[in-house]
Amino acid sequence: MPKILAIEDDPTTGREIVTELEQHGFEVEWVADGRDGLIRAVSGDFDAITLDRMLPRLDGLAIVTVMRSTGVDTPVLMVSALSDVDERVRGLRAGGDDYLTKPFASEELAARLEVLLRRRATAPPLTQLTVGDLEIDLLGRVARRAGVDIKLMPTEFKLLEFMARNSGQVLTRTMIFEAIWGYHFDPGTNLIDVHMGRLRRKVDRPGQPTLIHTIRGSGYALNPPEQPWR
Amino acid sequence: MALNSRFWRTTPFQLTVLHGLVFAVAVMALLGLIYARTAGYMTRQIDAIVLSEAHALAKPGPDGLPDRVQAAVKADERAIAYYALFSADGVWIAGNVRALPAGMIPDGKPRVLKGPAFLPGARAVVLRLPWGEQLFVGHDAKVLSGLREIIVEALLVSGALILGLGLIAAAALSAQPLRRIESLRVASQAALSGAVGVRLPVSPRRDEIDMLANLANAMMDESERLLWEVKSVGDNIAHDLRTPLNRLRALLYRVSQETSLAPTDAAMIEQALAETDALLSRFRALLRIGEIERCDRRAGVKPVRLQEVLAHAGELYEPLAEDRGVAFSIALDPDAPMVEADADLLFEAVGNLIDNALKFTPPGGTVRVRLITLAQGPRLEVADDGPGVDPQERDAVLNRFHRGRRTLDTPGSGLGLSIVAAVARLHQFTLTLSDAKPGLVVSLDCWPRRLEA
Repeated sequence: MPKILAIEDDPTTGREIVTELEQHGFEVEWVADGRDGLIRAVSGDFDAITLDRMLPRLDGLAIVTVMRSTGVDTPVLMVSALSDVDERVRGLRAGGDDYLTKPFASEELAARLEVLLRRRATAPPLTQLTVGDLEIDLLGRVARRAGVDIKLMPTEFKLLEFMARNSGQVLTRTMIFEAIWGYHFDPGTNLIDVHMGRLRRKVDRPGQPTLIHTIRGSGYALNPPEQPWR
Repeated sequence: MALNSRFWRTTPFQLTVLHGLVFAVAVMALLGLIYARTAGYMTRQIDAIVLSEAHALAKPGPDGLPDRVQAAVKADERAIAYYALFSADGVWIAGNVRALPAGMIPDGKPRVLKGPAFLPGARAVVLRLPWGEQLFVGHDAKVLSGLREIIVEALLVSGALILGLGLIAAAALSAQPLRRIESLRVASQAALSGAVGVRLPVSPRRDEIDMLANLANAMMDESERLLWEVKSVGDNIAHDLRTPLNRLRALLYRVSQETSLAPTDAAMIEQALAETDALLSRFRALLRIGEIERCDRRAGVKPVRLQEVLAHAGELYEPLAEDRGVAFSIALDPDAPMVEADADLLFEAVGNLIDNALKFTPPGGTVRVRLITLAQGPRLEVADDGPGVDPQERDAVLNRFHRGRRTLDTPGSGLGLSIVAAVARLHQFTLTLSDAKPGLVVSLDCWPRRLEA
């Protein structure tokens, strides 16, 4: 069971984080103070940390800076009410691995943490990704389903690769937009749905088991057929 | 702008020159007065001399008068006096003047001696003697004309000196304030183009320029304070409203995950989720506009290839066009120059323009994206053949939340064009809405509007 350290001074948000993450099967320890947070963070007992940007006694930026300078590489998801792009850049530059603006949908937090954990687990570079009968050759930039090549545009390939790297996890539309297109604004309308629809038509041909699942109210997931979504 | 041409227009320059002119006039008036008073005094002196000499010559009677006249001529070693005796009918008898000068009347009153032989200012008197002869006595005005020469010379020299020195002093005096005004201009320009925390320089002199600079600085402090206040109010509202909205969404989401729901209930929950998402997205857009408006303008500005931004955005939105059954074309001038801009914000603006155009174009319509090069710089255009926008509504649609009457049934936050307008303002680019006949063309002129200095 992955252990998460939540450093968050607002009691309401803190309780929400704990409830949501526990529902997703994480073990959560909640610290409300910056200095205690840092002491716990450098202990190395955790698989990931959610870190509020503004904290009493010690600022979130300072915590992540100290962590990184002492060689602690636990993934950090910065959570902040400061939504400016500059703030995001500052947070990521200080050593944060991802940045989430408050208030956030609670499943967004869980989804992002899962991706951070997965990224850490699959550290060695891969040349091939496999999900069910879907194979993605990362060197040849080719995807195959049941041995048949799928013709993909470069963006579609990136999208499929991102989903395969995080297979079995919910990926929200914002996460997908940030990861594939690299922008941090609200893409609006159903832009991501349309792209996903295109990819789905190519990956899940009629008669084949579904790999790309729509997770109602949250986003998408690429799942092997033997583990259909909950 | 050349410094020289502005010299003439500075207050110190104009004041100093004006002061110099007044001073020069005053000096001229003073010297003129001295001259006039001196000349008057000397004229009266000369008049007294000629009268007394004439009477002294005439007093002993007619006997020996010609000899006395000759003797007086001889005695005048400086040759500044004129003596002459004429018969009753004007025939010369004795003296150093052979004929009565023009204008001389034998009435015993001193007059100005006119004529080429006399210095200006010379005075003379003619007496009609009781025995009929006429006695002429005159006196030259060497001293007076000398004095006049001196005074005229003094006037010329002092006038030239005053004007010359005045101009130099004026130039020297204006240089310093000009330098200060220049530094004020530079600082204000920076403040105008959005630099936060810039203040006008204040010298330790505490003069009137400093007074104004202090006033302007106080104004800037105040507006900055208000700006931060508005920002924090905005953030608080956003936080206060978004947090419960997010909780509501989380609840709905949890309900939607229940497998025991009846299909109709599930559909309603799904719809409630979609509505909540729309609300949240509107909040995000509003906050985003504020964020762009508060952006530090220099951060993130780099040379940007518009072709790349547009091609990238086209690639992102093309599937959406296909999904809506709208034809999508993109034509980019490969030679359009790069622009100084924040590429991410520009992409966001272009994305919103295309999204907006797609939203208002009915299935079967066309959305065209163009990049063209004008003399001033590159212009990007997004045209649709949707319902368009009435000319009188065009300014209003750039404001937050405004939506044209013809488009009330189209979904959306109504904030897309406001985001584009905010990005355009940030870059000082010009955003124009015009008629595509039918439809709407939105053009973004990607060169900074010149600030009036």
